[in-house]
Amino acid sequence: MAKEYIKYVDVTKCDGCRACMVACKNWNDLPAEPEEFQGSLQSHAKVTANTWNVLNFIEHENSKGDLEYLFRHSSCFHCTDAACEKVCPEDAISYTDFGSVVINNDKCVGCGYCVQNCPFDVISLATYKDKNGKEYRKAQKCTMCTDRLEEGMQPACVVTCHPGAMQFGNKEDMLTLAEKRLSEIKEKFPNANIYNPAGVGGTHTIYVLAEKPSVYGLPEKPKVPTSAVIWKDYAQPIGKLMLGATTMAVMAGFVSNKLFNKGGHDHGQDEEGGDSDE
Amino acid sequence: MSKQQKPKKYVKRFSKAFIWAHAINALSFFALYITALPMYTEFFDWLYPVFGGPAGARLLHRIFAVTFVLPTLIYIIFDPKGFLFWLKELVTWKKRDVDFFKEFPKEFFGMKAKMPKQGFFNAGEKINSWIQIFTAVLIIFSGFTMWFPEYFPDTVVQWGYLLHNIGFGLAIAVVVGHIYLSVLHPGSTPAFRGVIKGDVDAEFAKGHYRDWYDELVAKGEIDEDGDKKSADKTA
Repeated sequence: MAKEYIKYVDVTKCDGCRACMVACKNWNDLPAEPEEFQGSLQSHAKVTANTWNVLNFIEHENSKGDLEYLFRHSSCFHCTDAACEKVCPEDAISYTDFGSVVINNDKCVGCGYCVQNCPFDVISLATYKDKNGKEYRKAQKCTMCTDRLEEGMQPACVVTCHPGAMQFGNKEDMLTLAEKRLSEIKEKFPNANIYNPAGVGGTHTIYVLAEKPSVYGLPEKPKVPTSAVIWKDYAQPIGKLMLGATTMAVMAGFVSNKLFNKGGHDHGQDEEGGDSDE
Repeated sequence: MSKQQKPKKYVKRFSKAFIWAHAINALSFFALYITALPMYTEFFDWLYPVFGGPAGARLLHRIFAVTFVLPTLIYIIFDPKGFLFWLKELVTWKKRDVDFFKEFPKEFFGMKAKMPKQGFFNAGEKINSWIQIFTAVLIIFSGFTMWFPEYFPDTVVQWGYLLHNIGFGLAIAVVVGHIYLSVLHPGSTPAFRGVIKGDVDAEFAKGHYRDWYDELVAKGEIDEDGDKKSADKTA
């Protein structure tokens, strides 16, 4: 069993060079996705099925009325309780020993349940064409370079980050680093915080943010949707149980009718009629 | 008072519109169930190739989703009186309907039961109608959010998945009983003819829906023995 690892992102050290985006595209062999001008330095509106890593550029007016230019490397959070894994009807999404959350492309049927349930909106469907020209869809997102981890290497984005805004390592070590960094920047950024949301059991990509999560377009209190929990933990098993129960009941009814009611249906005497749902 | 030797007499029970609506509803329901079954249980993943892959299953599911909505419209447009009669019956609950459930288990397992006289729909059929209406509404509305997620907030789509699941889970469990009673249960199989040909054995109607039968006699549409007196016009 491999150790649980965390990717720690210190946004205050990021200089917005976007080398992580390039490294990600390069290692994962993802096609370029030209997009319209976003109105800022930011290249893409958000991560997509073919762009697993986007550097966000946020122009923020801080409490002193000064302009703060905030950068954030955005990709999959690799939740400990991943909503995508929970709702996947094909068991195509799973946790690795490293703590990353990965998609099995052979099992994925492209239903998009994960897309609708991800609290961070980082998973989406890519459309491909098979050799007959027929289109099919597969869910895609950042894998935390699990294929590299398996070979003892670090994620491509981390390795390429020249200001050292990203580090990858043992869970405990990374959490300690984050705490230390937070205390260092608290004076300059009073709103600074560690983003490792408890609503999804903590994540395997954690951030030290300079401002509140909402400033970065992140949910303040993300969690596995309540509907998803009721759906998968209660409604689905109970539904299967009910179908089993009524099936058993009609089978028992069929057998007992064979035993007790040999005369068939002709037993409506006077006012008594056998009765039922038709 | 077995009438087996005599030729059977039939009383009209359902309109053509009802029969079509019922049949389209049933076929759509099962087509929908089967085209989504591999999504429900991985045990049925072998069905994907049958439907032309996941994309094919999704397309078929959407086609049958449309036909699933049609029966209500067919019933309303072609037999509005029957439709209203059905709704009226569904909200009419008397002592006979409550007492029905005391006797039903005995009847279900083939033992001697003293069924209270029932109206046009017996209490079990009323409950079945209520559950199917309720679940159909759940399934159809949540289905819209799943089909067109881009037009709904994420939360609505997320709850849609849950409601869709609850809807069909409840519906299929009830449908199993509904179908068993119509095609296998010795006490009620004669009712099946009602949803195929529109009429049922008069003797069966007398035994199962005595209040309705008596009403028909009182209206003069049939006589005590189930012979037709005039053109029948039941919903």
